[in-house]
Amino acid sequence: MPKQSQILLVDDSPLVLKVIGRALEKEGFICHKANNAEEAFALLKNDIPDLILSDYQMPGVNGFEFRQSLMAVPEFKNIPFMFLTSVTDHDHMIAGMSLDVIDYIDKDTPIAFVISKINNFLNSIRERHEHTIRELSSAAMALNLYSVPKETPRINGFEIDFWHKSFENYPGGDFIDVISINNRYTFIILGDVMGKKWGAWFFSFGYLSYIRAAVRLCVSEGDVSTRSIMQKINSVIYHDPVVSEVLSTLSLIMIDAESEELSYTGAGDLPLLYFCKAKNRLDRISSAGLLLGVSKQGGFDEHLFTMRPGDQLMMITDGLIDKETPAGKKTDLNSFTSEIERYLGKSDSFMTLKNDGFLNEKANEQIDDCSLIFIQKNS
Amino acid sequence: MILRTHLLDNALIADIQLKEANLSNADQFKAELHSLINSGNKYVIVNFEQVIYVDSSFLGALVSALKLAMNNGGDIAVVGLNSDIRSLFQLVRLDKVFKIYTNTQEALTGA
Repeated sequence: MPKQSQILLVDDSPLVLKVIGRALEKEGFICHKANNAEEAFALLKNDIPDLILSDYQMPGVNGFEFRQSLMAVPEFKNIPFMFLTSVTDHDHMIAGMSLDVIDYIDKDTPIAFVISKINNFLNSIRERHEHTIRELSSAAMALNLYSVPKETPRINGFEIDFWHKSFENYPGGDFIDVISINNRYTFIILGDVMGKKWGAWFFSFGYLSYIRAAVRLCVSEGDVSTRSIMQKINSVIYHDPVVSEVLSTLSLIMIDAESEELSYTGAGDLPLLYFCKAKNRLDRISSAGLLLGVSKQGGFDEHLFTMRPGDQLMMITDGLIDKETPAGKKTDLNSFTSEIERYLGKSDSFMTLKNDGFLNEKANEQIDDCSLIFIQKNS
Repeated sequence: MILRTHLLDNALIADIQLKEANLSNADQFKAELHSLINSGNKYVIVNFEQVIYVDSSFLGALVSALKLAMNNGGDIAVVGLNSDIRSLFQLVRLDKVFKIYTNTQEALTGA
Protein backbone atom coordinates (compact mmCIF):
# COMPACT_ATOMS: atom_id res chain seq x y z
CA MET A 1 0.00 0.00 0.00
CA PRO A 2 1.51 3.42 -0.87
CA LYS A 3 2.42 5.64 2.06
CA GLN A 4 -0.20 8.28 2.90
CA SER A 5 1.02 11.76 2.00
CA GLN A 6 1.04 14.34 4.76
CA ILE A 7 -0.11 17.90 4.27
CA LEU A 8 0.35 20.78 6.68
CA LEU A 9 -2.55 23.20 6.34
CA VAL A 10 -1.96 26.69 7.76
CA ASP A 11 -4.88 29.11 8.01
CA ASP A 12 -6.25 31.40 10.72
CA SER A 13 -9.84 30.49 9.81
CA PRO A 14 -11.11 27.48 11.76
CA LEU A 15 -13.75 26.97 9.09
CA VAL A 16 -11.18 26.74 6.28
CA LEU A 17 -9.08 24.33 8.34
CA LYS A 18 -12.15 22.19 8.95
CA VAL A 19 -13.57 22.18 5.40
CA ILE A 20 -10.30 21.79 3.50
CA GLY A 21 -8.88 19.47 6.13
CA ARG A 22 -11.89 17.20 5.80
CA ALA A 23 -11.71 17.22 1.98
CA LEU A 24 -8.01 16.33 2.08
CA GLU A 25 -8.55 13.53 4.57
CA LYS A 26 -11.38 12.16 2.42
CA GLU A 27 -8.85 11.94 -0.41
CA GLY A 28 -6.52 9.85 1.77
CA PHE A 29 -4.12 12.56 2.94
CA ILE A 30 -2.97 12.90 6.53
CA CYS A 31 -3.73 16.51 7.34
CA HIS A 32 -2.01 18.50 10.11
CA LYS A 33 -3.63 21.84 10.93
CA ALA A 34 -2.08 25.05 12.26
CA ASN A 35 -3.80 28.37 13.01
CA ASN A 36 -0.68 30.41 12.41
CA ALA A 37 3.02 30.27 11.58
CA GLU A 38 4.04 29.64 15.17
CA GLU A 39 1.81 26.57 15.45
CA ALA A 40 3.08 25.39 12.07
CA PHE A 41 6.70 25.55 13.26
CA ALA A 42 5.78 23.58 16.37
CA LEU A 43 4.22 20.84 14.19
CA LEU A 44 7.23 20.80 11.85
CA LYS A 45 9.44 19.87 14.79
CA ASN A 46 7.66 16.51 14.97
CA ASP A 47 6.92 15.73 11.34
CA ILE A 48 8.07 16.88 7.94
CA PRO A 49 5.02 16.91 5.64
CA ASP A 50 5.05 16.24 1.91
CA LEU A 51 3.49 19.64 1.25
CA ILE A 52 2.57 22.86 3.07
CA LEU A 53 -0.63 24.62 2.01
CA SER A 54 -0.77 28.07 3.56
CA ASP A 55 -2.97 31.13 3.64
CA TYR A 56 -1.43 34.57 3.02
CA GLN A 57 -3.49 36.87 5.22
CA MET A 58 -3.05 35.82 8.84
CA PRO A 59 -2.75 37.93 12.00
CA GLY A 60 0.84 38.41 13.16
CA VAL A 61 3.13 36.60 10.73
CA ASN A 62 1.61 36.62 7.23
CA GLY A 63 2.01 33.83 4.66
CA PHE A 64 4.93 35.50 2.86
CA GLU A 65 6.83 36.02 6.12
CA PHE A 66 6.06 32.43 7.12
CA ARG A 67 7.45 31.20 3.79
CA GLN A 68 10.58 33.33 4.22
CA SER A 69 11.16 31.97 7.73
CA LEU A 70 10.86 28.41 6.37
CA MET A 71 13.37 29.19 3.63
CA ALA A 72 15.89 30.21 6.27
CA VAL A 73 15.81 26.77 7.95
CA PRO A 74 17.79 24.13 6.01
CA GLU A 75 15.54 21.19 6.97
CA PHE A 76 12.33 23.09 6.09
CA LYS A 77 13.30 25.10 3.02
CA ASN A 78 12.78 22.22 0.58
CA ILE A 79 9.31 21.24 1.75
CA PRO A 80 7.03 21.94 -1.25
CA PHE A 81 4.89 24.98 -0.51
CA MET A 82 1.62 26.29 -2.01
CA PHE A 83 -0.36 29.41 -1.18
CA LEU A 84 -4.13 29.10 -0.91
CA THR A 85 -5.47 32.61 -0.40
CA SER A 86 -8.16 35.09 -1.35
CA VAL A 87 -5.55 37.81 -1.92
CA THR A 88 -5.17 37.32 -5.65
CA ASP A 89 -4.14 40.68 -7.09
CA HIS A 90 -1.39 40.57 -9.65
CA ASP A 91 1.32 42.07 -7.40
CA HIS A 92 0.69 39.65 -4.54
CA MET A 93 0.62 36.65 -6.86
CA ILE A 94 3.96 37.62 -8.39
CA ALA A 95 5.48 38.33 -4.98
CA GLY A 96 4.21 34.96 -3.69
CA MET A 97 5.44 32.96 -6.66
CA SER A 98 8.89 34.57 -6.34
CA LEU A 99 9.24 32.82 -2.96
CA ASP A 100 10.10 29.54 -4.66
CA VAL A 101 6.64 28.07 -4.20
CA ILE A 102 4.87 25.39 -6.25
CA ASP A 103 1.64 27.30 -6.79
CA TYR A 104 -0.43 30.29 -5.76
CA ILE A 105 -4.08 29.25 -5.69
CA ASP A 106 -7.16 31.40 -5.34
CA LYS A 107 -9.33 30.32 -2.38
CA ASP A 108 -12.37 30.52 -4.63
CA THR A 109 -11.02 27.62 -6.69
CA PRO A 110 -13.27 24.55 -6.27
CA ILE A 111 -11.73 22.26 -3.66
CA ALA A 112 -11.77 19.30 -6.10
CA PHE A 113 -9.53 21.31 -8.41
CA VAL A 114 -7.15 22.21 -5.55
CA ILE A 115 -6.89 18.53 -4.66
CA SER A 116 -6.18 17.62 -8.30
CA LYS A 117 -3.35 20.14 -8.33
CA ILE A 118 -1.91 18.63 -5.13
CA ASN A 119 -2.26 15.08 -6.46
CA ASN A 120 -0.65 15.97 -9.79
CA PHE A 121 2.26 17.62 -8.04
CA LEU A 122 2.83 14.77 -5.56
CA ASN A 123 2.53 12.16 -8.34
CA SER A 124 5.12 13.95 -10.45
CA ILE A 125 7.49 14.07 -7.45
CA ARG A 126 6.92 10.36 -6.78
CA GLU A 127 7.54 9.43 -10.43
CA ARG A 128 10.72 11.52 -10.54
CA HIS A 129 11.89 9.90 -7.30
CA GLU A 130 11.22 6.38 -8.59
CA HIS A 131 12.95 7.22 -11.85
CA THR A 132 16.04 8.42 -9.95
CA ILE A 133 16.10 5.25 -7.86
CA ARG A 134 15.83 3.11 -11.00
CA GLU A 135 18.70 5.03 -12.64
CA LEU A 136 20.90 4.76 -9.56
CA SER A 137 20.14 1.08 -9.16
CA SER A 138 20.96 0.31 -12.78
CA ALA A 139 24.17 2.35 -12.52
CA ALA A 140 25.10 0.38 -9.39
CA MET A 141 24.34 -2.90 -11.13
CA ALA A 142 26.39 -1.87 -14.17
CA LEU A 143 29.32 -1.20 -11.85
CA ASN A 144 28.71 -4.53 -10.13
CA LEU A 145 27.99 -2.75 -6.84
CA TYR A 146 25.88 -4.92 -4.61
CA SER A 147 25.72 -4.47 -0.87
CA VAL A 148 24.48 -8.07 -0.54
CA PRO A 149 25.85 -10.95 -2.66
CA LYS A 150 23.53 -12.34 -5.29
CA GLU A 151 24.33 -15.94 -4.44
CA THR A 152 25.09 -17.80 -1.24
CA PRO A 153 28.59 -19.32 -1.10
CA ARG A 154 29.25 -23.06 -1.10
CA ILE A 155 31.78 -24.33 1.40
CA ASN A 156 32.23 -28.03 2.03
CA GLY A 157 30.59 -29.06 5.28
CA PHE A 158 28.97 -25.66 5.89
CA GLU A 159 25.69 -24.12 4.91
CA ILE A 160 25.68 -20.34 4.67
CA ASP A 161 22.63 -18.16 4.19
CA PHE A 162 21.87 -14.45 4.26
CA TRP A 163 18.84 -12.48 5.12
CA HIS A 164 18.71 -8.76 4.53
CA LYS A 165 15.93 -6.22 4.59
CA SER A 166 16.56 -2.61 3.76
CA PHE A 167 14.75 0.22 5.52
CA GLU A 168 11.68 1.27 3.47
CA ASN A 169 13.25 -0.61 0.52
CA TYR A 170 16.03 1.95 0.12
CA PRO A 171 19.55 0.62 -0.19
CA GLY A 172 21.14 1.39 3.17
CA GLY A 173 24.25 1.08 5.26
CA ASP A 174 24.33 -2.69 5.90
CA PHE A 175 26.65 -4.64 3.66
CA ILE A 176 27.37 -8.34 3.29
CA ASP A 177 30.19 -9.82 1.25
CA VAL A 178 31.84 -13.17 0.74
CA ILE A 179 35.37 -13.50 -0.57
CA SER A 180 36.41 -17.00 -1.56
CA ILE A 181 40.17 -17.04 -1.91
CA ASN A 182 40.43 -20.69 -2.98
CA ASN A 183 38.86 -23.99 -1.96
CA ARG A 184 40.33 -23.54 1.49
CA TYR A 185 39.77 -19.97 2.70
CA THR A 186 36.51 -18.05 2.62
CA PHE A 187 35.95 -14.68 4.28
CA ILE A 188 32.49 -13.60 5.36
CA ILE A 189 31.86 -9.93 5.98
CA LEU A 190 29.02 -8.11 7.67
CA GLY A 191 29.19 -4.36 8.13
CA ASP A 192 26.88 -1.56 9.13
CA VAL A 193 27.67 2.00 8.11
CA MET A 194 26.14 4.29 10.73
CA GLY A 195 23.47 6.14 8.82
CA LYS A 196 20.63 5.19 6.58
CA LYS A 197 19.44 5.26 3.01
CA TRP A 198 21.57 6.61 0.15
CA GLY A 199 24.31 8.36 2.13
CA ALA A 200 25.12 5.21 4.08
CA TRP A 201 24.77 3.09 0.94
CA PHE A 202 27.41 5.06 -0.95
CA PHE A 203 29.80 4.87 1.99
CA SER A 204 29.24 1.11 2.27
CA PHE A 205 30.96 0.74 -1.11
CA GLY A 206 33.88 2.85 0.08
CA TYR A 207 34.25 0.51 3.03
CA LEU A 208 33.78 -2.62 0.92
CA SER A 209 36.54 -1.54 -1.47
CA TYR A 210 38.98 -1.15 1.41
CA ILE A 211 37.90 -4.45 2.98
CA ARG A 212 38.24 -6.42 -0.26
CA ALA A 213 41.66 -4.86 -0.91
CA ALA A 214 42.88 -5.58 2.64
CA VAL A 215 41.73 -9.23 2.50
CA ARG A 216 43.46 -9.82 -0.86
CA LEU A 217 46.59 -8.00 0.24
CA CYS A 218 46.98 -9.93 3.49
CA VAL A 219 46.24 -13.28 1.86
CA SER A 220 48.77 -12.58 -0.91
CA GLU A 221 51.33 -11.96 1.85
CA GLY A 222 50.42 -15.31 3.40
CA ASP A 223 48.61 -13.75 6.38
CA VAL A 224 45.05 -15.04 6.78
CA SER A 225 44.58 -13.77 10.33
CA THR A 226 41.31 -11.84 10.63
CA ARG A 227 42.97 -9.62 13.23
CA SER A 228 45.76 -8.59 10.84
CA ILE A 229 43.22 -7.92 8.09
CA MET A 230 41.06 -5.85 10.42
CA GLN A 231 44.09 -3.83 11.50
CA LYS A 232 44.93 -3.07 7.87
CA ILE A 233 41.35 -2.05 7.11
CA ASN A 234 41.24 0.14 10.22
CA SER A 235 44.54 1.77 9.41
CA VAL A 236 43.51 2.90 5.90
CA ILE A 237 40.11 4.08 7.10
CA TYR A 238 41.65 5.96 10.03
CA HIS A 239 43.87 7.88 7.62
CA ASP A 240 41.16 8.55 5.04
CA PRO A 241 39.53 11.84 6.06
CA VAL A 242 36.43 11.24 3.92
CA VAL A 243 35.51 7.66 4.82
CA SER A 244 36.46 8.03 8.49
CA GLU A 245 33.85 10.80 8.84
CA VAL A 246 31.17 8.11 8.63
CA LEU A 247 31.66 5.23 11.04
CA SER A 248 31.08 1.57 10.44
CA THR A 249 30.94 -1.66 12.36
CA LEU A 250 32.46 -4.77 10.86
CA SER A 251 32.32 -8.49 11.65
CA LEU A 252 34.90 -10.54 9.79
CA ILE A 253 34.91 -14.34 9.81
CA MET A 254 37.34 -16.60 7.99
CA ILE A 255 36.36 -20.23 7.41
CA ASP A 256 39.21 -22.64 6.79
CA ALA A 257 37.50 -25.53 5.00
CA GLU A 258 40.57 -27.75 5.46
CA SER A 259 41.01 -27.48 9.22
CA GLU A 260 37.30 -26.63 9.68
CA GLU A 261 38.41 -23.86 11.99
CA LEU A 262 36.84 -20.40 12.02
CA SER A 263 38.46 -17.16 13.06
CA TYR A 264 36.59 -14.03 13.95
CA THR A 265 37.47 -10.40 14.56
CA GLY A 266 34.96 -7.65 15.15
CA ALA A 267 34.96 -3.85 15.10
CA GLY A 268 32.23 -2.22 17.21
CA ASP A 269 29.90 -5.00 16.09
CA LEU A 270 27.29 -6.99 17.98
CA PRO A 271 28.46 -10.34 19.42
CA LEU A 272 28.20 -13.46 17.28
CA LEU A 273 25.41 -15.73 18.45
CA TYR A 274 26.63 -19.32 18.67
CA PHE A 275 24.23 -22.22 19.15
CA CYS A 276 26.01 -25.32 20.44
CA LYS A 277 24.01 -28.42 19.52
CA ALA A 278 25.68 -30.64 22.14
CA LYS A 279 24.92 -28.21 24.98
CA ASN A 280 21.63 -27.09 23.41
CA ARG A 281 22.61 -23.56 24.38
CA LEU A 282 22.94 -20.17 22.70
CA ASP A 283 26.13 -18.33 23.66
CA ARG A 284 27.74 -15.10 22.58
CA ILE A 285 31.18 -14.56 21.14
CA SER A 286 32.16 -10.96 21.81
CA SER A 287 35.04 -9.18 20.16
CA ALA A 288 37.02 -6.32 21.65
CA GLY A 289 37.62 -4.11 18.59
CA LEU A 290 36.41 -0.53 18.32
CA LEU A 291 34.40 0.91 15.43
CA LEU A 292 36.47 1.23 12.25
CA GLY A 293 38.48 4.43 12.03
CA VAL A 294 37.85 5.57 15.62
CA SER A 295 41.37 4.95 16.87
CA LYS A 296 44.66 4.18 15.19
CA GLN A 297 45.12 0.82 16.92
CA GLY A 298 41.50 -0.33 17.16
CA GLY A 299 42.16 -2.82 20.00
CA PHE A 300 41.26 -5.84 17.85
CA ASP A 301 41.39 -9.44 19.05
CA GLU A 302 40.85 -12.74 17.26
CA HIS A 303 38.67 -15.68 18.29
CA LEU A 304 39.44 -19.14 16.95
CA PHE A 305 36.84 -21.88 17.23
CA THR A 306 35.62 -25.06 15.59
CA MET A 307 31.98 -25.74 14.83
CA ARG A 308 30.62 -29.24 15.42
CA PRO A 309 27.91 -30.79 13.22
CA GLY A 310 24.56 -29.19 14.00
CA ASP A 311 26.16 -26.04 15.50
CA GLN A 312 24.86 -22.73 14.22
CA LEU A 313 26.42 -19.29 14.12
CA MET A 314 24.70 -15.97 13.48
CA MET A 315 26.06 -12.55 12.64
CA ILE A 316 23.56 -9.69 13.01
CA THR A 317 23.32 -5.92 12.68
CA ASP A 318 21.69 -3.66 15.24
CA GLY A 319 18.56 -3.05 13.15
CA LEU A 320 17.24 -6.39 14.40
CA ILE A 321 17.51 -5.81 18.11
CA ASP A 322 15.60 -2.59 18.71
CA LYS A 323 12.32 -3.07 20.48
CA GLU A 324 9.22 -0.98 21.10
CA THR A 325 8.12 -1.16 24.77
CA PRO A 326 5.43 0.68 26.75
CA ALA A 327 8.19 2.88 28.20
CA GLY A 328 9.52 3.71 24.72
CA LYS A 329 12.02 2.31 22.31
CA LYS A 330 15.04 0.35 23.51
CA THR A 331 17.93 -1.65 22.16
CA ASP A 332 17.61 -5.13 23.57
CA LEU A 333 19.90 -7.96 22.52
CA ASN A 334 18.73 -10.15 25.41
CA SER A 335 15.12 -10.18 24.17
CA PHE A 336 16.25 -10.91 20.64
CA THR A 337 18.39 -13.87 21.68
CA SER A 338 15.67 -15.37 23.86
CA GLU A 339 13.12 -15.00 21.05
CA ILE A 340 15.35 -16.51 18.35
CA GLU A 341 16.50 -19.42 20.52
CA ARG A 342 13.39 -21.52 19.92
CA TYR A 343 14.16 -21.64 16.17
CA LEU A 344 17.68 -22.98 16.62
CA GLY A 345 19.12 -26.47 16.71
CA LYS A 346 17.09 -27.80 13.79
CA SER A 347 18.29 -28.66 10.31
CA ASP A 348 15.86 -26.16 8.77
CA SER A 349 16.32 -23.38 11.36
CA PHE A 350 17.20 -20.70 8.83
CA MET A 351 14.33 -21.49 6.47
CA THR A 352 11.89 -21.40 9.39
CA LEU A 353 13.26 -18.08 10.64
CA LYS A 354 12.85 -16.71 7.15
CA ASN A 355 9.54 -18.25 6.18
CA ASP A 356 7.45 -18.20 9.33
CA GLY A 357 7.79 -14.45 9.55
CA PHE A 358 10.05 -14.06 12.61
CA LEU A 359 12.70 -12.04 10.77
CA ASN A 360 10.20 -10.01 8.74
CA GLU A 361 8.27 -9.23 11.90
CA LYS A 362 11.47 -8.02 13.57
CA ALA A 363 12.36 -5.92 10.53
CA ASN A 364 8.92 -4.33 10.29
CA GLU A 365 9.28 -3.01 13.84
CA GLN A 366 12.53 -1.26 12.92
CA ILE A 367 13.59 2.00 11.36
CA ASP A 368 16.89 0.63 10.09
CA ASP A 369 18.36 -1.94 7.73
CA CYS A 370 18.35 -5.44 9.18
CA SER A 371 20.79 -8.20 8.28
CA LEU A 372 21.55 -11.70 9.46
CA ILE A 373 24.13 -14.19 8.24
CA PHE A 374 23.45 -17.78 9.23
CA ILE A 375 26.24 -20.37 9.25
CA GLN A 376 25.52 -24.00 9.98
CA LYS A 377 27.96 -26.88 10.27
CA ASN A 378 26.55 -29.91 8.53
CA SER A 379 29.02 -32.74 8.58
CA MET B 1 18.26 23.51 18.99
CA ILE B 2 18.97 20.01 20.22
CA LEU B 3 21.63 21.05 22.71
CA ARG B 4 21.12 23.42 25.62
CA THR B 5 24.49 24.51 26.91
CA HIS B 6 26.05 26.22 29.88
CA LEU B 7 29.58 26.61 31.17
CA LEU B 8 30.61 25.00 34.44
CA ASP B 9 34.18 25.26 35.70
CA ASN B 10 36.35 24.57 32.65
CA ALA B 11 33.79 22.45 30.78
CA LEU B 12 30.80 23.08 28.58
CA ILE B 13 27.74 21.08 29.61
CA ALA B 14 25.55 20.18 26.62
CA ASP B 15 22.12 18.75 27.52
CA ILE B 16 20.49 16.73 24.75
CA GLN B 17 16.86 17.85 24.65
CA LEU B 18 15.47 14.76 22.97
CA LYS B 19 13.71 11.60 24.06
CA GLU B 20 14.57 9.62 20.92
CA ALA B 21 18.00 10.39 19.54
CA ASN B 22 17.98 8.93 16.04
CA LEU B 23 18.71 9.44 12.36
CA SER B 24 16.17 12.24 12.04
CA ASN B 25 18.12 14.45 14.45
CA ALA B 26 21.66 13.02 14.16
CA ASP B 27 22.86 15.49 11.51
CA GLN B 28 21.63 18.50 13.44
CA PHE B 29 23.17 17.16 16.66
CA LYS B 30 26.48 16.64 14.87
CA ALA B 31 26.40 20.15 13.39
CA GLU B 32 25.63 21.73 16.78
CA LEU B 33 28.32 19.76 18.59
CA HIS B 34 30.93 20.43 15.89
CA SER B 35 30.11 24.11 16.04
CA LEU B 36 30.56 24.17 19.86
CA ILE B 37 33.95 22.45 19.52
CA ASN B 38 35.05 24.67 16.64
CA SER B 39 34.18 27.75 18.63
CA GLY B 40 36.86 26.83 21.16
CA ASN B 41 35.16 24.59 23.75
CA LYS B 42 37.83 22.01 24.60
CA TYR B 43 35.99 19.90 27.20
CA VAL B 44 32.39 19.10 26.47
CA ILE B 45 30.16 17.02 28.74
CA VAL B 46 27.24 15.61 26.78
CA ASN B 47 24.28 14.96 29.04
CA PHE B 48 21.89 12.16 27.99
CA GLU B 49 19.56 12.49 31.01
CA GLN B 50 16.46 13.21 28.90
CA VAL B 51 17.23 10.57 26.28
CA ILE B 52 15.51 7.19 26.45
CA TYR B 53 16.68 5.72 23.12
CA VAL B 54 19.72 6.21 20.89
CA ASP B 55 20.27 4.69 17.46
CA SER B 56 23.55 3.99 15.68
CA SER B 57 23.33 7.07 13.43
CA PHE B 58 23.21 9.31 16.48
CA LEU B 59 26.12 7.44 18.10
CA GLY B 60 28.04 7.89 14.85
CA ALA B 61 27.50 11.66 15.13
CA LEU B 62 28.75 11.61 18.74
CA VAL B 63 31.91 9.69 17.80
CA SER B 64 32.57 12.03 14.89
CA ALA B 65 32.43 14.97 17.33
CA LEU B 66 34.82 13.17 19.67
CA LYS B 67 37.34 12.77 16.86
CA LEU B 68 37.08 16.48 16.13
CA ALA B 69 37.47 17.36 19.82
CA MET B 70 40.54 15.12 20.17
CA ASN B 71 42.12 16.61 17.03
CA ASN B 72 41.69 20.02 18.70
CA GLY B 73 43.36 18.73 21.86
CA GLY B 74 40.07 18.42 23.75
CA ASP B 75 37.74 15.64 24.88
CA ILE B 76 34.06 14.71 25.23
CA ALA B 77 32.65 12.98 28.30
CA VAL B 78 29.22 11.40 28.43
CA VAL B 79 26.86 11.52 31.42
CA GLY B 80 23.29 10.60 32.37
CA LEU B 81 23.00 7.34 30.40
CA ASN B 82 20.03 5.18 31.31
CA SER B 83 20.76 1.48 31.80
CA ASP B 84 19.70 0.49 28.25
CA ILE B 85 21.87 3.14 26.63
CA ARG B 86 24.78 2.28 28.92
CA SER B 87 24.44 -1.38 27.84
CA LEU B 88 24.43 -0.29 24.20
CA PHE B 89 27.66 1.70 24.75
CA GLN B 90 29.21 -1.44 26.26
CA LEU B 91 27.84 -3.70 23.55
CA VAL B 92 29.55 -1.73 20.77
CA ARG B 93 32.60 -0.88 22.93
CA LEU B 94 31.92 2.86 22.99
CA ASP B 95 32.59 2.63 26.74
CA LYS B 96 36.24 2.25 25.72
CA VAL B 97 36.07 5.33 23.49
CA PHE B 98 34.24 7.78 25.77
CA LYS B 99 34.75 8.66 29.39
CA ILE B 100 31.38 7.81 30.93
CA TYR B 101 30.23 9.27 34.24
CA THR B 102 27.00 9.03 36.20
CA ASN B 103 26.41 12.78 36.32
CA THR B 104 27.92 16.14 35.49
CA GLN B 105 29.46 16.63 38.93
CA GLU B 106 31.29 13.32 38.72
CA ALA B 107 32.50 14.19 35.22
CA LEU B 108 33.89 17.51 36.44
CA THR B 109 35.78 15.79 39.23
CA GLY B 110 37.03 13.02 36.97
CA ALA B 111 37.97 15.30 34.07
